[in-house]
Amino acid sequence: MMMMMMMTSGPDLAIALPWQQIMTGDRDIAVAERDALGTRAARVAVWPPENLDGACGAVDIVLRALDQQASRFRPDSEICWIHGRGGGLFMLSDGLAEAVGVALAAARWTGGLTDPTIGSALISLGYDRDFAAIDQQCGEPPAAPVPAPGWQSLRLDGTMLRLPPGVRLDLGATAKGLGADRAALAAMSASQQAGGVLASLGGDIAVAGTPPRDGWPVTAADTPDQVGSRAAQLVRLPRGAVATSSVSTRRWRRGGQELHHIVDPRTGRPADGPWRTVTTAAATCADANAATTAAIVAGQQAERWLATAGLPARLVGHDGEVRCLGGWPDADGAPVPVPPGTRVYRGVLRRSGPR
Amino acid sequence: MDKGMDSDREYRSGQVPLPGFGPPDRADPAGQPGPSRRDGIRHVRRMSNWTAAALIVGAGSATVALAHHTMTTAAPAAGTASATARAGTAAASGSGGPQAAHSVATTSGSGVTVTTATRTVNGKTVVTHVRHTPAYHDS
Repeated sequence: MMMMMMMTSGPDLAIALPWQQIMTGDRDIAVAERDALGTRAARVAVWPPENLDGACGAVDIVLRALDQQASRFRPDSEICWIHGRGGGLFMLSDGLAEAVGVALAAARWTGGLTDPTIGSALISLGYDRDFAAIDQQCGEPPAAPVPAPGWQSLRLDGTMLRLPPGVRLDLGATAKGLGADRAALAAMSASQQAGGVLASLGGDIAVAGTPPRDGWPVTAADTPDQVGSRAAQLVRLPRGAVATSSVSTRRWRRGGQELHHIVDPRTGRPADGPWRTVTTAAATCADANAATTAAIVAGQQAERWLATAGLPARLVGHDGEVRCLGGWPDADGAPVPVPPGTRVYRGVLRRSGPR
Repeated sequence: MDKGMDSDREYRSGQVPLPGFGPPDRADPAGQPGPSRRDGIRHVRRMSNWTAAALIVGAGSATVALAHHTMTTAAPAAGTASATARAGTAAASGSGGPQAAHSVATTSGSGVTVTTATRTVNGKTVVTHVRHTPAYHDS
């Protein structure tokens, strides 16, 4: 594996960025990755390889904008500014309006299994800062669980958001998928729509353009460190997106309780169903992202919910058992059947121009 | 009881007459110069209503917080929202691209990984968690 620093081009990107090129063994596809959005890797794969530099620059812009719009942990982010006002009527930027609109559509689609009003619930559990800064072994028990006030309490009309006092947003169930969707299209735009691109944000993957023959080769794994192990599976993604949610990551302790970041909005407690990891494929990454979170929260009802949604899925139980649903391939190297159509972008504000 | 107000409501229930185009005023039982006085009262009340409406609209506009106007300008994201919605409908043909034999990305839980191991010691189930320290920060 070869590592190298890259310089990205463009008027906003005159500084060296921490992209590291990854050699996968396929000369016709270029791959690079960097840390971003609290995840180990934002990864970009493109063909032809000469498009990599421009694609990375475009993804940088997307990541910077999304972070500025929706990060709960940046005091200068738009969402933090709104939280600081304590509720009211706000005119959002187009980018945050789209992010909130997607989160609300996902909540409607999942019947509230995902909910953007879950911010206070996460804070009460101790996830109130950059994850790396959380005291992992805090002796104090978590505060009383705070069920989400409910996505129905929000009103979004175009870019106008009415936020009830005290309600804090967390877009974690959809924002990473949304970012991957934006990144894939931005990279294609930077490539003048030539070739194909794959964009991954912390394991949520969207593709655009023309894929490699038989689809993009992607590994589905329980955790990032399983790659190459027998627990991981290689599949082909011809279009659309694939995403994974897992309770095996982002865990911490409070007063002897083991907590994690996927919270059931109905109870305000970490989801405690039988599945530790769920992977799904969908037409867009925001759809897949929402579906995986919903399936983890749905617990015993996850298989039924995924069947109703018509999504192929790979579920891993706490005992390590893997279950494939909805046409998810059993065999290594087989293509994932990606259903058409999006549920979370329907009715969401669409406006051309920079966001 | 305020008869003047009641009578004002009677014809307002159907259509709201414009000033000067209302129905003929009925005779005032008290013999007062009713019509002109009631006209004046209605006029004042209508003006008050318009003024109140204007104040409400104005106050509402003032309380709308233009969140993004107060923010430092975010770097514009490349692409558009409409383009975002096309993400899943991009070219799906598998015939035009190069051959790719090796995995280019992994979909998995993101962030800090905790490996959970379960074993039985003296008949009791012991669960251990091994934490993999992150090399990055949340955002």
